[in-house]
Parts: sequence; structure tokens; C-alpha cells
Amino acid sequence: MSFTERFSLNFIESNRYRYITAGIKNTLLITVVAAAIGILLGFLIAIIRSTHEKTGKLKLLDLICRLYLTVIRGTPTTVQLMIVYFVIFSSVDRPLLSAFIAFGLNSAAYVAEIVRSGIMSIDPGQMEAGRSLGLSYRATMAYIIIPQAFKNVLPALANEFIVLLKETSICMAISLRDLTYGTSLISSQTYDYMFPLLLGAAIYLFFVMLLTWLFGKMERRLRQNER
Amino acid sequence: MNGEVLIDVQGLEKTFEDGNRVLRGISTQIRKSEVVAIIGPSGCGKSTFLRSLNLLEIPTGGRILFEGTDITDKSVDVDKMRQKIGMVFQQFNLFPHLTIRKNIMLAPTKLKLMNKQEAEKRALELLDRVGLPDKADAYPAMLSGGQKQRVAIARAMAMNPDVMLFDEPTSALDPEMVGEVLEIMRELAESGMTMIVVTHEMGFAREVATRAMFIDEGVIKEENHPAEFFAHPREQRLKDFLSKVL
Repeated sequence: MSFTERFSLNFIESNRYRYITAGIKNTLLITVVAAAIGILLGFLIAIIRSTHEKTGKLKLLDLICRLYLTVIRGTPTTVQLMIVYFVIFSSVDRPLLSAFIAFGLNSAAYVAEIVRSGIMSIDPGQMEAGRSLGLSYRATMAYIIIPQAFKNVLPALANEFIVLLKETSICMAISLRDLTYGTSLISSQTYDYMFPLLLGAAIYLFFVMLLTWLFGKMERRLRQNER
Repeated sequence: MNGEVLIDVQGLEKTFEDGNRVLRGISTQIRKSEVVAIIGPSGCGKSTFLRSLNLLEIPTGGRILFEGTDITDKSVDVDKMRQKIGMVFQQFNLFPHLTIRKNIMLAPTKLKLMNKQEAEKRALELLDRVGLPDKADAYPAMLSGGQKQRVAIARAMAMNPDVMLFDEPTSALDPEMVGEVLEIMRELAESGMTMIVVTHEMGFAREVATRAMFIDEGVIKEENHPAEFFAHPREQRLKDFLSKVL
């Protein structure tokens, strides 16, 4: 078979490209929603943990957060995804929702540790300066500490979201038609593995490079004031 | 000295968690428009004393009455109290992610004491006063140490504090920049600002301060009018200290 014949067989016949387009849509949707959950929950956990570390307050919340981090970081993402889909949502068939929740909760744990390290790396003098002006702990965190911490951890956060994007490829475990499962479905019909897999890989690579570029741009913008 | 008492410190004590007793009963009164220079050997507790006055360090004993209110009382609104007490740090602690203008405007606007236009006007006024009118849109990293400290003073003044605390404001500066910061502080003192200054600048203590205070081993060993304090120290510890630093 020639190149064009194989291309046509894998992607054109029976509109098989739709496995790819639908897969891309799901992969991106899961990544974006999970990243949003990860950022929201991750920042919250990071703030609770660093507040506890600095002031000794929020003891119970800190304990809950630590337990959460231990469990999430100590178990495989695939298992977490399957638990959410097959156990927690066992009575309803909600693969996409399961993926949002599983990847979101998973990402939050990693974001939390990244952001916490960022908060802890800010000179204590910044908090003292904010507080000595009469700003509350909360206001000082919001206007002074977090913006600086965010800037410092941006490369690590970018990395986390790249990992997240690629990790969504395990959605096959709950029969969710993401990009990887899409390519695999094509293969099962055409008995050709190379074409669908290589195209899938290229698409992941494209989005990872896009993300890298976007974060790089953001980082340069935020760093403008350092010289 | 007959201004009204702004800060009344009564038997102030501070023991750190490691058991180190840094302050062992400090009592003094700071009156309006006084400029108090605090000197002493390193580790004597002078910085801890200063930082206790706005509760950056929580005292473990004694009381601090600020404008008549006991600020060591748990029910006191600490943030409200700190708005009236400006603080200038050794390491400047400017906010590196904000322009100079925004460094000065941040607290007054976020605390809703001024609207944006008022805060902006005040920021430019203060920058003019500390001799940096052209730096409003610069970032802290672009400034020299002396300029940073002048901005830090302007930032504290933007809150219109009743008293200003200076924690070794010139100790982190290159020698040629010390003068410009002390000059701003002198002008501030002449304008009637109440100031408490922990310093190693004996010249400043002698010429600008209205009272010099020697802290050693966690207590005030001696305090006096600067002329008398430097010319005729009574305590042996102070004599030894002055002979080393003068």
C-alpha cells in the first residue's frame, strides 16, 4: 500500500478522522477543566499549608491537606481515574465528568506543592512589610506574596500542565474517547498501528509545544520588571 | 519633654521559643515629635524591642500602650494599629513586582483610605519629597540601595503614620548612600515626625535625635539627651561601647 492509500484508509475512509478530532476535543477539554480545578484547589491547599507552616494556625485543615497529598501522590493516576469512574460514579455512566474530577484532583496535589514551595521561597520581609503597613494577612498574601510566588513557580506550573495534558492519554482505562483511544480505535479497524499512533504523537507534541510557547511568553512578560 | 505620650512601654519582656530572654523588662515613654535613637551591641535586643512596638514580635510580658490603647491585648485590631505606625526595614522590603508608584499606593488604596487619584497624588508628592520624582514608574530592582530606602520611607509615610520605626535603616547601604537616607530622616524629624530609630550612626544619634537610648542585655541601661549621653556616659557598659564605635 502506498503512503496515500494508507493515509486514506486510516483517516479518510468511513470518516475515521473523526476519532482524531473528537479525541482532540476531549483531550483538550479534560486538560483545561482539570487544570482549572488543579489551580483553584492547588492554590487553596498551598495557602492553607504555608499559612500553617508560617503561623501554626489551621492545624486541622493542614492535616486534611497533607492526608490528601499523601494519598493522591502515592497512588497511580490510572487507578484514581478508575476509582472515580467505576466506584464513585458506578451507578451512572459519566466518563467525562469522572476524568474532570480525577485529573483535577490529581493535578491539584502537584500544583499545591509547587505553589507552596513558591510561597515559602518569598522573603519573610515581604510579609512583614505588608503587615507593617496595616494590610491583613489575607491582603498581604493576595497582593504581595502570591503574585511573586506565582511568577517564581510559573516554569514548574507549565511543566505540570504539560504532564497533565499527556497523562490524559490513560482515559482508555474508562473507555473515554480521548486522542489516544481515538487512534487506537482506528488501528483496531484498519490493522495499521504506525499511522494513527504517529499522528497522535505528533498532535500531542504540537499542543505541548504550544503550551511551552504560551508559558514562555507569559514568563517573559512577568519578568520584565526584574531589570 | 512635654509632648503628649504616644507610646508607653511598661515592663516589656520577650523570650523566644528557644528560651532566649531577649527583652528583660523595658519601660519607657515615647512622646510626640521625639526622635529616639536606640543604640547597643548586636544581639542586645534593640531590634526586637523596636519590632515589638508594632507587634512584628509578640511580647511575652509587659504592656505597650499606643495612644492609650494596650496593643498587647488580644482584642485589639492589630492591622488598624499598624496603619498608624510606619516601619522602615534594614533590607528595604520593597515589593519587587510593583512599580515604585504602586509600592507607595498599595496600602492606602487597598485599605480604602484614599481613592486612586488621591493615592497617586500623594505618592508623587512623597517621591518629590524624598528626591525621586523621576522614579515613579521604575521597578525596585532598578534602584540603588539608597534610593530603595528613600522609597521605603515614602511608602511608610503614605499611610500618614503618627510614629515611624526605623530598624537599622542604613546598615545595608553602601557607605556613599548612607548620607542621602539620613538626610531624608533628618528632614522628617524636623517636620515633627515622631521617630524611633535603631541605628549604628552615632552622628545621626547625636545631631538629630532628641534622646539617645542604650540597650544592653535586654534592658535600657542608659538614656539621656544626646549631648549629655555621648559627652558624659555614666554606665561603664556604655562607656566601653562608645569607646569602640566612636
